[in-house]
Amino acid sequence: MDFNPVDRAAIAGIGASRFGRHLPESQLALGAAAFRAALDDAGLERSDVDGLAVNLGWPLGLDYDRIAEAFGLDIRYVNQTWTHGRFVTMALQQAALAVAAGLAEVVACVAVASFTRERDILGGPGDFEGMREEGGTHAENPPYGLTAPAAGAALAYRRYMSLYGATTDALGEVAVTLRSHARRNANAVMRRPMTLTDHRASREVVAPLRLFDCCIVSDGAVVVLVTSAERARDLRKPPVFISGMQGIRAGRDEFIFAPPGLGINQQRPGRVTPRPEDGDAWRMADIERDDIDGLYTYDAFTPLVLFVLERFGFCAPGEAHAFVGGGRIALGGALPVNTSGGLMSEAHVSGWNSIAEIVRQLRGEAGERQMEDARHLQWATMWGDSIVFRR
Amino acid sequence: MDLTARPNPRVTPDNRPFWESCREHVLKLPWCADCDRAFLPPAPVCPSCFGERIDWRAASGRGTVSTFVVVHQPWFPAFADDIPYNAAQVELEEGPRLTSSLVEVANEEIAVGLEVEAVFDDVDDENTLPRFRPRRRG
Repeated sequence: MDFNPVDRAAIAGIGASRFGRHLPESQLALGAAAFRAALDDAGLERSDVDGLAVNLGWPLGLDYDRIAEAFGLDIRYVNQTWTHGRFVTMALQQAALAVAAGLAEVVACVAVASFTRERDILGGPGDFEGMREEGGTHAENPPYGLTAPAAGAALAYRRYMSLYGATTDALGEVAVTLRSHARRNANAVMRRPMTLTDHRASREVVAPLRLFDCCIVSDGAVVVLVTSAERARDLRKPPVFISGMQGIRAGRDEFIFAPPGLGINQQRPGRVTPRPEDGDAWRMADIERDDIDGLYTYDAFTPLVLFVLERFGFCAPGEAHAFVGGGRIALGGALPVNTSGGLMSEAHVSGWNSIAEIVRQLRGEAGERQMEDARHLQWATMWGDSIVFRR
Repeated sequence: MDLTARPNPRVTPDNRPFWESCREHVLKLPWCADCDRAFLPPAPVCPSCFGERIDWRAASGRGTVSTFVVVHQPWFPAFADDIPYNAAQVELEEGPRLTSSLVEVANEEIAVGLEVEAVFDDVDDENTLPRFRPRRRG
């Protein structure tokens, strides 16, 4: 018997804590606020939740065991990954697969990030992961003072600039656009106006990246409730269906912050994107790239937005730096990106804030950010995983 | 653990020959004895053919800068006086890319494609880091 996951699972509820910097709340307090809000949004009871999916556990967030213990849950299915933003997609996919397969009725994806309290792990001597055998996962190399995820994005963008004649102003276009989205979002942490001139004047962090190329370091929580499509139809809000998926890519042609072919670490150089396998999620959802009404991505650093556009073929290799200008990735543009402000300007809840925004957009709840007639929205990361959502 | 100390390479069973040869001021790479290809990072198996016969051979030490960054943020106390300092990936003549840093060149003069050669920096009694400098003509 074939197992077909298309539209078998849906997001039935979303909830968030407040977002901010140096919030006094514990991780559990942030998580509980988001959990309560998500249950209320879905019209579900705490006792309905029998599964947990977590991609951001200790030390940045909550682990599944403490969530279940503290919130008084009775859990029969858990998926928790290595603590990295790259596993947002996997946590949500596993939740969808678990309910589709009958392993759980309602899986709560719980994402808590207290980055301001734990910021020492983001680079320097406190980043023990940088000392992983044979180097850190973003090309950290502490003996040479190379540390922090930002350095990996900077290595990739320097080479991109050299290959394609791109400038750092293209990154400024991304930062300014995402800020313009956050300015329409009362919950966003960063709402001050930003111009290209502001971007150019921000301090260098790891050149070619400046401060305004790096996402905000913030605190907050988002909970997303996933259940079966049948059950979701009976709940309080219209379901947002999970229609297509593809997993994270790995191999010698992959570097977490560079599209295949760019030539970072051991990637073979060449203009290879988009590759057929990067369209798996569209094929599963029985749509085409042109059917995507908006793109949501893990924008920890501005170059990642350019790279995801190229990886998925919205732009050819070397063309994204020109594409991101002219309002094309802004609300009302050809392909709006991260319409709530993303990690860059809304909050760094590991991307779950953008998953929640997808749900709001497809329900028509996005207020002054509402896109017209959005049918298919895509979550896709530059390391190649994706989920296609539809209403 | 002294968080102000300069981080040293983490020597593992797989990369020990690399760091030991650096102590001798020789850059060596792991080669697969079966498919005759050099690879990085060091590993107990060849990533091309999964062969286990790994042969450490001296490399030319020549390469080109494939990318680089200039660090301005004082993440490491031990590097605070070096800011702004560079770090680079060098594509070696043998193919693999190695992360390192560049010396004898101003940060403003570094460019992707710069031809470089290895030099060795004895950072303390036990550790030698390979770095790269612009290749001299003639």
